[in-house]
Amino acid sequence: AGDWKGWNIHVKDYPVSVGMEKFMELANKNTDGRVSGKVYHGGVLGNQADAISQMQLGGIDFAEFNLGPLGVSVPETNVVSLPFIFKDMDHMHRVMDGEVGENLSAAMSKAGIIALSWYDSGSRSFYNNKGIAINKPADVKGLKFRVMNNELFVGMVEALGGNATPMAFSEVYQSLKTGVVDGAENNWPSYESTNHFDVAGNYSATQHLIIPECLCVSTRAWDQLSDADKVAVKAAAVESAKLQRVLWAERSAQSKAKVIAAGVKYNEIADKSAFQDAMGPVYEMAIKKNPVLKDIIAAIKAVD
Amino acid sequence: MGLLILLGCFALLLVIGMPVAYALGIAALSSFVYEGIPLLIGFQRIVSGVSVFSLLAIPFFIFAGELMLHGGIASRLVSLASSAVGWAKGGLGQVNVFSSMLFGGISGSAVADVSALGSLLIPVMKEKGYSADYAVNVTVTSSIAGIMIPPSHNMILFVVAAGGGISVSSLFMAGLIPGILMCLCLGVAARWVAIRNNFPTEKFPGWSVVLYSAITAFPGLFTAVIIVGGALSGVFTVTESGAIGCIYAIVVCLLVYRSLTLDGFITAVKGAVRTTGMVMVLVGCASAFGYMLVLYDVPTQLTELLYKISDNPIIILLMMNVMLLVLGMIMDMGALILICTPIFLPVAISLGMDPIQFGVMLMMNLGLGLCTPPVGACLFVGCAIGGVPIQRAVRTIWPFYLAILLTLMLITFVPSVSLFLPNLLDN
Amino acid sequence: MDKKLSIKPILDRILDVLAATGTLISSIAMVVLVSTFGWLVYGRYILNDTPTWVEQLALLLIITIAFMSSATGVKERTHLAVDIVPLMCSPRVKLILRLCCDFILGGFGLLMAIYANDLMQFSWYKEIPLIEIPEGVRYIPVVVSGVLITIYTTVSFISGLLTLITCQSNAQLLAADSKSKTEE
Ligand code: NA
Ligand code: NA
Repeated sequence: AGDWKGWNIHVKDYPVSVGMEKFMELANKNTDGRVSGKVYHGGVLGNQADAISQMQLGGIDFAEFNLGPLGVSVPETNVVSLPFIFKDMDHMHRVMDGEVGENLSAAMSKAGIIALSWYDSGSRSFYNNKGIAINKPADVKGLKFRVMNNELFVGMVEALGGNATPMAFSEVYQSLKTGVVDGAENNWPSYESTNHFDVAGNYSATQHLIIPECLCVSTRAWDQLSDADKVAVKAAAVESAKLQRVLWAERSAQSKAKVIAAGVKYNEIADKSAFQDAMGPVYEMAIKKNPVLKDIIAAIKAVD
Repeated sequence: MGLLILLGCFALLLVIGMPVAYALGIAALSSFVYEGIPLLIGFQRIVSGVSVFSLLAIPFFIFAGELMLHGGIASRLVSLASSAVGWAKGGLGQVNVFSSMLFGGISGSAVADVSALGSLLIPVMKEKGYSADYAVNVTVTSSIAGIMIPPSHNMILFVVAAGGGISVSSLFMAGLIPGILMCLCLGVAARWVAIRNNFPTEKFPGWSVVLYSAITAFPGLFTAVIIVGGALSGVFTVTESGAIGCIYAIVVCLLVYRSLTLDGFITAVKGAVRTTGMVMVLVGCASAFGYMLVLYDVPTQLTELLYKISDNPIIILLMMNVMLLVLGMIMDMGALILICTPIFLPVAISLGMDPIQFGVMLMMNLGLGLCTPPVGACLFVGCAIGGVPIQRAVRTIWPFYLAILLTLMLITFVPSVSLFLPNLLDN
Repeated sequence: MDKKLSIKPILDRILDVLAATGTLISSIAMVVLVSTFGWLVYGRYILNDTPTWVEQLALLLIITIAFMSSATGVKERTHLAVDIVPLMCSPRVKLILRLCCDFILGGFGLLMAIYANDLMQFSWYKEIPLIEIPEGVRYIPVVVSGVLITIYTTVSFISGLLTLITCQSNAQLLAADSKSKTEE
């Protein structure tokens, strides 16, 4: 199966990166060396949108993708970009490791991407530099929040009454520092590693987005494997996901402890139903654009 | 073997006179073919390389510089410099350096500075009895100030090539002291050469003239304040401040100076898109080239090689400086920033150097390359304007090279020269 | 010789119009780019409603400016090149080197047009977020740029080749060279 080239956006010691290295190591061992490869960390081969195309066109063979930006290529995966679609991390695990995950995987394989296992990227929450503890949707009103380039996230902030500001990630730190925007949203490790906590010290656990990630192989690399090797590689991927989830949880806890020790004011939200209720228009917009999402949303709600 | 094809093709294409940008792209494509990677991905790299949000500041800075040039701001800055320092010994030499400091801070492009200030100042200097090669030398070397003093589109290229994580504002701040320091050193050199050759002096025009030209120059100079200040204060992002700078320059030239004609505006836009096209395609092709450099593991190998030669940080830093200087002598600045940053930055970081300090060092180093033969865009433009053969300019340019080298050594070995202001800003 | 003379002015005229159109398109893109960022700042501060389409539109505009005007740069030879070696060579060798560059660059332009067209079709069904137009639109200026580069270099190659064949002595070559320069 030759030498596989692997794409990863994260730096070398990140949980995802360690997981991918583990995957390659196990895949190599499980197939008696028939599968080997190298992971290129730090996004040196391009951004995720480029990497998805490269996977489809045959430039790279495996990768770890966040399902958010995958929605452009595989509409079904947009379902995980819906705010508050999962109740919590455990619920997301139950959904993705079950039938819904398999269906999403099948949809992805039509686009030339085989999802072997699901990695974690935690939950994203709002933080701001205005000293506001967000407890209810009204607290978001009028605030300028940076969001990723996705109409669902823009819609979410607007539905809460805020001013959604899509902005390149590289500009966020400076913008938070100088007040071009009032806040942003991310998971604990990113909030910590990007030093955003230095310039936006109020973190409110809205946990509005829980977006899983996938370890995937390109169809063309996958099709060259014997059936036995496919099983072996899949097993390696599942094993690496277990490791990644443990590492992710540890890393999250560390980051949280670190920023709180550094003086970040943190609040949990006892009842998120007011936020969830506000999301009606966002869900409607998503379903209107991709009717296929309706059944998947129902299937996710059905998982306890 | 693949690496050999990549570098060999590139060198060969350069030698036969292929534009640098396309030489990078074609060399990259040939090693895509050799490695069996679909060419589609090569072109995807080229297009994606251009499609980067942080790069948007570049057309704005270039456009702002063109507007100042064709809208009458540049000439007012020169008048200010002339009345303020023109009376000293070798005065027009000082004017030249001082104007580069003022104008360079805005145009951000060394070549733009040479063509703008050179066409204003070199004829005047020749007329007033300065030798042509002196006029060219001062203009060419002081144009490096445009790269060092913010805003500078080359600094944006560096931040993008470093893969994010470096704040553009901090880098802007970091370039300020080295840029001013370099201008001071050049000023001393200009004076020294002028005294030795007994060039004439200007008369002091009187304080009222100085004050008057300062007042007229101020609204134009404020363009730079908007671009840099807007970004630092957080009213705008760096990109936005570039755009607002352009809009401000248009308003000032139209309403305050009343010196921007439709023709001037069209010339400015045309000039801006021409330069933008050159820079951006270079960035795109360099990104395809960089993709192959990463696959061939060049950065790691070069780091190991350098450490094999010596593990003394001073020696390694000197070696890096020499390599950059040599590369700067044969290649264009933008291409070198894009190629060298991913390769040399990890080495510098492993030596404990701050990425921002490295950036400033790289700028000055490659800037010097713009003024050296055989390939120095600034030197070429300067010589063309002054009507001086390159060989003749180079014979008398060494005092200015020495001044720049002195500053370069200060930047390399004294971190606080670059880092003092950014640190101040952070606290 | 006579035949060439009758075709060349018309051809030159066509190429000039192409180049002027390219410059016009990128100039308009530049003005729109600056204006949208003015609107962005206005929206954020005055309207408290940040326009969300500016960023993605800006990336489209920058690709348009970059590829349209770099093609013009090929025609007008404004791209930075290292021409020490060509300058040291005899006029004949210099012309041959230029023909090589034109040939290779023409090939590059052709490949760029072909592959950018493939990329355009490949990504047509994807949508650029927030401005809801096909991702493939991004590649249109690249295709056009590739075609233009091919046209410019082909014409330059053929006229150079004719010069090479018709001019026997170095003196003739020099004269042809200086004539083509004054024409530019
Ligand atoms: Na500058
Ligand atoms: Na040089």
